[in-house]
Amino acid sequence: MTQNKLAWLVGMACFTALLALAQSAGSSVWDGVYSEQQANRGDSLYAAKCASCHGTSLTGGESAPPLAGGEFLSNWNGLTLGDLFERTRTTMPANRPGALTREECADVLAYLLKMNQFPVGKTDLARQTEFLKLIRLDAQKP
Amino acid sequence: MRKLNSVGAAVAVLAAWTFVLSAQQPSTAKGEWPHYTADLKGTKYSPLDQINAANFNKLEVAWRFKTDSLGPRPEYKLEGTPLMVKGVIYATGGTRRSVVALDAKTGELNWVYSLREGNRAAIAPRQLSGRGVSYWTDGRGDERIVFVTTGYRLIELNAKTGQPIAGFGKDGIVDLKVGMVKGTGEQIDLETGEAGLHSTPLVVKDVVIVGSAFKEGMTVETHNNTKGQVRAFDARTGKLLWAFNTIPRPGEFGNDTWENGSWATNGNTGVWTQMTVDEELGLVYLPVETPSSDFYGGHRPGNNLFAESLVCVDLKTGKRKWHYQIVHHPIWDHDLSSAPILADINVGGRAIKAVALPTKQAFLYVFDRVTGEPVWPIEERRVPQSDVPGEKTSPTQPFPSKPPAYARNFLDVPNDLIDFTPEMRAQARDNISRYKNGGLYLPPIVGSGNGLLAAMELGNASGGTNWPGAGYDPETHTFYSQAHNSALFPLSLREPPPGFSDIKYVMGRGDTEFRVSEGPGFGTAADAPQQQRPAVAPPKPAAAPAPNPTAPPANPLVVQGLSIVKPPYGVVSAIDLDRGELKWQVPYGETPDAVRNHAALKGMTIPNTGQPGSVGILITKTLLVVGDSQVTTTPQHPRGAMLRAYDKATGREVGAVYMPAPQSGSPMTYSVDGKQYIVVAVSGGAYSGEYIAYSLPNQ
Repeated sequence: MTQNKLAWLVGMACFTALLALAQSAGSSVWDGVYSEQQANRGDSLYAAKCASCHGTSLTGGESAPPLAGGEFLSNWNGLTLGDLFERTRTTMPANRPGALTREECADVLAYLLKMNQFPVGKTDLARQTEFLKLIRLDAQKP
Repeated sequence: MRKLNSVGAAVAVLAAWTFVLSAQQPSTAKGEWPHYTADLKGTKYSPLDQINAANFNKLEVAWRFKTDSLGPRPEYKLEGTPLMVKGVIYATGGTRRSVVALDAKTGELNWVYSLREGNRAAIAPRQLSGRGVSYWTDGRGDERIVFVTTGYRLIELNAKTGQPIAGFGKDGIVDLKVGMVKGTGEQIDLETGEAGLHSTPLVVKDVVIVGSAFKEGMTVETHNNTKGQVRAFDARTGKLLWAFNTIPRPGEFGNDTWENGSWATNGNTGVWTQMTVDEELGLVYLPVETPSSDFYGGHRPGNNLFAESLVCVDLKTGKRKWHYQIVHHPIWDHDLSSAPILADINVGGRAIKAVALPTKQAFLYVFDRVTGEPVWPIEERRVPQSDVPGEKTSPTQPFPSKPPAYARNFLDVPNDLIDFTPEMRAQARDNISRYKNGGLYLPPIVGSGNGLLAAMELGNASGGTNWPGAGYDPETHTFYSQAHNSALFPLSLREPPPGFSDIKYVMGRGDTEFRVSEGPGFGTAADAPQQQRPAVAPPKPAAAPAPNPTAPPANPLVVQGLSIVKPPYGVVSAIDLDRGELKWQVPYGETPDAVRNHAALKGMTIPNTGQPGSVGILITKTLLVVGDSQVTTTPQHPRGAMLRAYDKATGREVGAVYMPAPQSGSPMTYSVDGKQYIVVAVSGGAYSGEYIAYSLPNQ
C-alpha cells in the first residue's frame, strides 16, 4: 500500500466518523434519527426474535417488560440510545444473547422508536455504540 | 428417690443445654436477619429502630455490591434478599446463581461459590439468581449455608469458607431431581427433566425442607409433566426424611379429586414460594401452586387437591394434618404465591394461633393454624361456569367474609375504568366492551378477533401479593402488604398448533399467530444459548388483510397511552388481624411519568396514582419500608426510583431515599456494631443487579 493510499483511507475513515458524530452529537430521539426503511427491517426482526416474550404489540408479558408506552419510556428516559443498544446487543434475545448483529440491533431499535411514535428521519441509526450514546432518549419532546 | 433425683438432674442438664444451643441460634432480636422472611414465621419483621421516621431521609449508601461478574453476563432481574448472621451477609446473585459472603459493614467479598451445571442449568424452568440462601448451625461452631442451584441441586457450604460440606449428600450436594417423577412414577431425566426452584430452603431445627417448581403453564407442551413434591432432608447428612405428594397417589387422601384417574397424567402442583413453620407445634405450612396447565383443566376433572391449597403437614413425618383449598379446580393461575404468616392473635377475647395467607386475589385467608378452621367464615359462593369444550369448572369457590380484599381482584366495569377525562372513560368503555366481564373466577373463553377477545381477569397471574410476600408486626397484630391493584390479565384460549402440545387448549387466540409464552428469566441462565423448543409449523404467508371494521385496537387495555384501569395502580395496606379489618390503605410509590407528563392531563391536579407491580416490604419497629417498582424523573429527584418509609400506624409516607433502579428484591435490615443497615436488591432496564446497603451517616 502506498503512503498516498493509506493517507486517503485514514482520511475517509476520519471523515465518516466525523460525519456520524456530527449527525449524532447532542441529538435526541425527537430529531428524526432513524429511517423508515430501517424501521421496516426492524419490524420483521422484532416479529421473529422479540415478540414471543415482549408481545406482538410490544406490550410485554409475564416474562418481559413492555417496549412501548409509558412504563418503557419512563424506564429509559434520560438515558441514551447507546444504553438501550448495549442492553439489547449483550443480553437479547434472552435465549440466544449476542445472536443479533450490530446492524440488526440498530434496526430493532429503529422499530422501537417508530412504535413509540418518535419522528422518522432520512438516515439510518448508527451501528456504533459510541455514536448512539450521543442520542438522548427523552420521553418528552424537549 | 435417688433415681428420681438422677432423672431430675438429667432433665435439668438437658434443658440447660437446649437453652445454651438455642441461644446460639441467630435471631432478629440480636439484630440479625437469619431467614429470607426474617424468621420462620414469615413476618419480615425486625425490632430494630435506629432508622426511623425522623432520620430516614438522611440515609446514605453504606456499601454496594454489583453482581455482574457472577456469571458470563450481567443479570437484570436480581430478586434476592440477603441473610445477615454474625456480621456476615449471605446472598445469591448473577446469571450462574452464585452464593456470596460479604462483610456486613463494608460489603467486601469474603468468598464466592458457584457450580457450573452446563445444559442442566441452561434449560432449567427457574432461572435467574433466585431469592437467596438459608442458614443452619448446630450451635457449636458448625455453620452452613444452604441453597438450591439453578439446575435443582441442594448444596450445603461451610459458612466460613464457602466450601461444600463433604458429609452432606455427595460432596456437599443432594441431587433434587432424584425422586422427581412424572406419570405414575417415572423418574425424570436428571439432565433434561423439568424441575427447579427460586425460593430458599426452609431450615428448621436439623431439617431442610425444599419445594419444587416447573415451567410456566401458559403454553406448555404436555399436561403430563413432572409432579410437585415437598421433601425434607437431614440438615447434617442430606438424607431424605420424608416427601409429601402434592398430587396424591392412589390410597392417599385427595386422590379421588382427580377424576377419571387423572392424577396419573397430570403434573405441576409444586410449592415454588417460601414455606413457613411453627417450630413449637411442629407444623409446616405449604402454599401449593396450580396444576398443568394454568388456564385449561379439561384433562384433570375434579377439584384437584392439593392444587392451590394451603396444606399443613407434620414437621417430623410430612403427614397431612389439615388443608384448605383456596381455589377449586384451578384455571386462573392463582398459585399460592406468598409465604403463609404465623400470627398469634386475639379475636373477640379468644387467643388464636393463626396462619394468614396473602394471595394474588388480595384476599387474606386466616385459619386457626392448629385445626385449619377459618378464623372468620369463608363462604362457598356460586361462580360463573366455563363454556370451553371439555372444561368442567367448580360450581362454587371460597370467599372470605373477613378481612376485606386489600386490593382489586376483579375489574368492576365501568367504575374501575380510567376517568381522568370523559374522552378517556368513553374510549375505555368502548375498548372493554370487546371483553367478557363478570367478576372474580370468570372462566377463560375461546376468544376471537371478531367477537369477544378474552375473559377479563384482574388479580390472578400477576395480581395482589406475589412471590415477594407480605409482612406482620407480632406486637400490634397487624398484617402489612404491598399489592398490585391493576394487574389485568385477559384470558383467551386456543387450540395449539398441530404437534405442539397434548393439551386441547392453551393461552392465545386462534386468529392470531401462535406464540410460546416463557416464564420470567427463562433463557437467562449462565449457560444459555439453550435448546430450542420443538419446531412449530411456520405461519402461513399472510394474505393482504381485508379491511375489518371490527378489528380491535393494537392494545385495547391502553387508553391514550395509559392503563385502562383507573388508579391507584398499586396500594400498601394494613390489616388489624384481631378484628379482621382494614386499618389503612395508601397508594404505593408515586405517580408514573406517563401520567404526570401526559399532554391531556396538563393543568389537572392528579392525586398520587401509585405504581403497579408486586414488591416486597420490610417491617421494623416503627416503619414499613418498600421501594418503587418503576423509574421516574420528577422535580424532587433525578431519573431513578425511591426507597420509601411509611409510618406503620397511619400509612403516611415519612421519608424516601434515592435508588438508581427499581426495587427488584425485598428489603431486609440488620445491625452490626450498633449501626442499623437496610439492604435492597435493585435492577431493571439498563441497570444490572446490585445490592445496596443504606445506613445513617456517622455523627
